[in-house]
Amino acid sequence: MGTLPAADLYRQIEQANQRGERVVVATVARTRGSTPQQRGAKMLFFASGEAAGTVGGGCVEAEVWAEAREALRSGQSALHHFSLTAEEASEEGMVCGGTMDIFLDVWKPT
Amino acid sequence: MKDSTDHTRSISSSLQRLFEDGALAIVVTLIEAPRNVGAKMIIEENGSHHGSFADATLDKAVIRQAPALLATKEETRTFYGREFAPELTEFSEAQFLFELIQPEQRVVICGAGHVGASLARFAALLGYRATLIDDRKEFVRREDFRETNIELVLAESWTEAVRATIGNGRGVAIAIVTRGHSEDEQCLRATVTSSIPDYVGLIGSKRRTRIVLERLRESGISSEQLAKVHAPIGLDIGAVTPEEVALAILAEIVSVRRGGSGGSLSHR
Repeated sequence: MGTLPAADLYRQIEQANQRGERVVVATVARTRGSTPQQRGAKMLFFASGEAAGTVGGGCVEAEVWAEAREALRSGQSALHHFSLTAEEASEEGMVCGGTMDIFLDVWKPT
Repeated sequence: MKDSTDHTRSISSSLQRLFEDGALAIVVTLIEAPRNVGAKMIIEENGSHHGSFADATLDKAVIRQAPALLATKEETRTFYGREFAPELTEFSEAQFLFELIQPEQRVVICGAGHVGASLARFAALLGYRATLIDDRKEFVRREDFRETNIELVLAESWTEAVRATIGNGRGVAIAIVTRGHSEDEQCLRATVTSSIPDYVGLIGSKRRTRIVLERLRESGISSEQLAKVHAPIGLDIGAVTPEEVALAILAEIVSVRRGGSGGSLSHR
């Protein structure tokens, strides 16, 4: 999944909200160490289970995905801390390690 | 106190409007705090703002801090409350995400030959919105370009097509890669005599592009208007095939946008 143009991102949020659905927007707020994505990277999670954009490929995405599903359910926006040690990364065959603070923001229909 | 989520609807439509207008703004989100997480404020370039963190003093401090991000050209920064509003002790450990809203990044391509078509596809892959212009219908057929972020324009007049596509020029990179020198010249003239985009590039040999620039200068276009033109277009990566030339062009567009040197990282 590639980078999502910012204008598209807000268009997709608006459209989902108009369908009466919640959307979770994940944004990389802080990074430390060798992380796969830089600050500001964004990923959208829809109620349908679909997603768009990326916050860092295989390294953290599965965990972010799980938290996003929980946020969709609970409706609670929160800052989450994700870390990936070098060992975990090498086991997965990926070159990343470090920590990322990712904000999961729930945009709700009104 | 109003819950933060009450604002999200109006915030997302405001953000969309800002993109449509090609405006500069900062959106600030409260991302860590005992309450009101997710609350947002938008501060526009002209100082107008909306949204609130339900604390007038905090709102004022955020409005004061926003121009700092505009000045640094950074797109995203996270601040603790204590970093910009030390007097507001109850927010000292709160975290605020500041994000720059800027005009959509667009690549306008004059000429849909092999180089132009490849450039449109590469640009779309990078997340830029691409506009591909040609005066030959069979070169801008939708069935040949499935990417939704590639816009196809059949030009009756190059000048009018270029002007209409560039708009106010903000966030726009234009690559002039038509099949002929006369068409290139029309496109370049239309570009430098309207709102000059962030990047302008002209394809051709050093000798040929110099002749085109000289002709424009003789027709009364100032050196200042021509100073922004990258000619010949592209970074020197030894490109041979049309696809490689397209890559060299896009690499130059990215390096101008991000302020890169264009050299090898291993030589830094």
